[in-house]
Amino acid sequence: MNNNVNISDRGSKSLIRFVISELKPRGKIFTPFNIISGLIILLSLVILVIRFAKGLGSVADASQLHPWGLWISFNVITGVAFAGGAYVLTFMVYILNMKKYHSIVRMTVLWGFLAYSFYAGALILDLGRPWNIINPIIGNSFGLSSVLFLVAWHFILYIIAQFIEFSPAIAEWLEAKRLRKILVSLTIGTVIFGITLSVLHQSGLGALFMMAKAKIHPLWYSEFLPILFLISSIFAGLSIIIVVGSICQKVFKNQLKSDYGDSYKNIVFGFAKICAVAMFVYLFLRLLVLIHSQQWALINTHIGYWFLLEILGFVLVPFIFFIYGFKHRSMLLIHIASIMTIIGIILNRLNVSMIAYLWNDPLAHYPTWMEIVVSVSVILAQIWIFRWIIYRMPILRKSPDWVPEDEEK
Amino acid sequence: MENFSINDIFATKGIEYLVIIAFLAILIPFWVVLNKQVKITKQIQNALGILTANILRIPQGLFYSKNHTWIHLEKSGVANLGLDDLLQHLTGEVKFSNLINPGEIINKGDLLAKIEHNSKLLKIFSPISGKILKTNSMLNESPEMLNEDPYGKGWIYKIKPSNWIAETNSCFFAEDATNWATKELEKVKDFLIMSMGKHSHEPSMLTLQDGGELRNNTLSELPNEVWQDFQKEFLNHT
Amino acid sequence: MSINRRDFIKTIGIAGVTLTVGNELLAAPKKEEKEIEFSGILIDTTLCIGCRTCEHVCAETNGLPDTSDEETGSNRQPTEKQLCVINTFNVDGNEIFVKKQCMHCNQPACATGCLTKAMKKTDEGPVIWTANKCMGCRFCMINCPFDIPKFEYHSPNPKIQKCKMCFERLKEGKKPACVENCPAEAAIFGKRRDLIEIAKARIYAEPDKYYHHIYGENEVGGTGVLYLASVPFEKLGFKTNLGATPYPEYSKEFLYAVPVIFTVLPALLLGMHSASKSENNKIEKEESYE
Repeated sequence: MNNNVNISDRGSKSLIRFVISELKPRGKIFTPFNIISGLIILLSLVILVIRFAKGLGSVADASQLHPWGLWISFNVITGVAFAGGAYVLTFMVYILNMKKYHSIVRMTVLWGFLAYSFYAGALILDLGRPWNIINPIIGNSFGLSSVLFLVAWHFILYIIAQFIEFSPAIAEWLEAKRLRKILVSLTIGTVIFGITLSVLHQSGLGALFMMAKAKIHPLWYSEFLPILFLISSIFAGLSIIIVVGSICQKVFKNQLKSDYGDSYKNIVFGFAKICAVAMFVYLFLRLLVLIHSQQWALINTHIGYWFLLEILGFVLVPFIFFIYGFKHRSMLLIHIASIMTIIGIILNRLNVSMIAYLWNDPLAHYPTWMEIVVSVSVILAQIWIFRWIIYRMPILRKSPDWVPEDEEK
Repeated sequence: MENFSINDIFATKGIEYLVIIAFLAILIPFWVVLNKQVKITKQIQNALGILTANILRIPQGLFYSKNHTWIHLEKSGVANLGLDDLLQHLTGEVKFSNLINPGEIINKGDLLAKIEHNSKLLKIFSPISGKILKTNSMLNESPEMLNEDPYGKGWIYKIKPSNWIAETNSCFFAEDATNWATKELEKVKDFLIMSMGKHSHEPSMLTLQDGGELRNNTLSELPNEVWQDFQKEFLNHT
Repeated sequence: MSINRRDFIKTIGIAGVTLTVGNELLAAPKKEEKEIEFSGILIDTTLCIGCRTCEHVCAETNGLPDTSDEETGSNRQPTEKQLCVINTFNVDGNEIFVKKQCMHCNQPACATGCLTKAMKKTDEGPVIWTANKCMGCRFCMINCPFDIPKFEYHSPNPKIQKCKMCFERLKEGKKPACVENCPAEAAIFGKRRDLIEIAKARIYAEPDKYYHHIYGENEVGGTGVLYLASVPFEKLGFKTNLGATPYPEYSKEFLYAVPVIFTVLPALLLGMHSASKSENNKIEKEESYE
């Protein structure tokens, strides 16, 4: 294959042939992971056909009092928190110039891009009349007063921004030198734009619930919900990157340079420290919010104990583990802390949107197995695409030789 | 009921300010504690410690060979053998493998052991002849003992020497050992600059900080070719 | 340096656009005295006899199945098939009937939260839903403090169902169906301003008959449907802890902050980027001198 061919020189025919050849799977097709996840995805496609033919109620347990089910509460509200690694990392690498983290930026941005794309897709699955989604986009009727309008627009713009940040990798894959140069020059602009958008829509997810004041339990509802969501997205995103990065290290190890392990360890230690500081701030914020709401007496109820479990068990404990792991350089402890943090974020977001939402409604909302299957398969599909891209594009491995040294990722 | 009895919306402001003061008060010590260096030299990758002769440990009662091993004869007639502090400062944390089993006889200059980091390895040759009595099983479980306590718990072999006096003649002892170690450090610096030129690496990747001193764990991130050169220059003395 | 100039222009451009659009969010539009005033409905529960005629005619007018032979209870909610329902309460030995439907708030949470403007507060007063704009996100359902909008979950072409105060009939000069057909005149229709006067007059004229509160006068900033009762409203299933703040005010702080963040943050980030870049350049220059 010609290594010095520009995309314009290659010609469109050979480009198509190249892309098609890249579609062939690499490695074993019938691994346990592939089989199980493939079956789940197929099952969810069947469920989705039923959902669109017979209406949302045929597969989801959405009731009139609990309009948002698992797909929004889990895939959108929780999933987007986990995609927060992208804006934190691009901030550290491109704004603060912390070169230590450079090697992991591409993977993080790719994960973020895929996360937002898939979870925006999950949102469309949940819409009752998705054909009208074009309305708030083309200006047919802008509901400017709505927080959801802002969140929706930010999702679209952010997906575009992340795609541009990630596109140099695509250009390197397609061997398009001039295109790559253009895309790289756009990086800092899109990074700044992306961080601003992220700050607003991560907090915007919290602002969505502002008008549900009468329905969310006072221990979780506060006017500071947007800020809490923003701060928690910082350590949520970093925790997911630690877990995903470590898995990638094992799965893709033949792509990596021999000293990737050392530099990756340093990155993880750095993340642990940042998470610890963010969680320190977050814990104090939650204390302030609790005092401000004047509802501390409610802690002495059943749901109050659930509240304590979420904060003490899954924020305070991993916070301590992060500190200990960082000081004693223990990868194991940091990974345990990351997983506990992930559970804590899931709990918090599900609490605000589903569990503490009309918590005393006797007809509580329990997701159906079909909702769970579709939720899980959205994530599995994301992992499949993630894997496909990492095998083919220079995300974890070195850029091709024609990339200038100082621009190398 | 609204508008019929007192409703102070800032009722908790006082407590909130106290919490904020507490937060700020805790923040500084928290930050300090988080950043305090861990004293153990185990994982010093981020620590830009400066490798000068002052920080080397060179107990004066031991014999040091040119191949960076030390030996110490105990009253029982059994000698302990290990790697010196300078070597472990250069390599950083390594995986250690014994090549001789207890009961075997070795001669001066025989291959004793291998130390390895990320598939880069160095061979350690014996300074004396004798019969190997014991290997240090604790090293298998805690390889960092080589770095933490190279002269104590980090011993490699217990050996019954067959020709102690003659063979330790060529070793350094007491003050000579300290002088030699200082000179060796300078030699390492020159070696690295030359090796740098030979393998054309980026200077920044190397070592020279303020004042041109070596970084701790100097060799650990350098490639295999440099390790092979180091072997030839420093560990292959006969 | 071409990159910095480009970013500068980009930032200014974004800031400029935001400021232009942002103004719409920040500035309160100056309204001239509008000629059209809100209409409303006053429901006097002391007059309601529980005949449920309103349920019948509501179903008829809106083309929905008539389910009014269902038993009445004290916890019935409007559904996607029944836009108004009668609840029965037993208070101190007396039976009190309460009609429940959309409150047509002055500042509706549902309309504020609708990102396609499918839910809209009309100038005349009723809050209506238009099918061709709605995308079925159900955000209106999350926002409504009274939990009124209902969604047709079992239809592939689902609609949001709630009382529209017979908006079509109002345009023809008629009254809402429930008001027109109420045999006891428990429900009356008129300008909201007039209805409040009528309610106050009733309370003043018969202070022992009524509980001294008009529900809906100030709740959530005022609603188009007003209630009078002879007992405290908590006993009749009304939510009395909603406060007088209009619901859109709760997301006001966040939305007001958006243009500010959009202008301040990019400039700040650009500054931090330049600062850290020049620090690095300085260090690199020093190293190359060594």
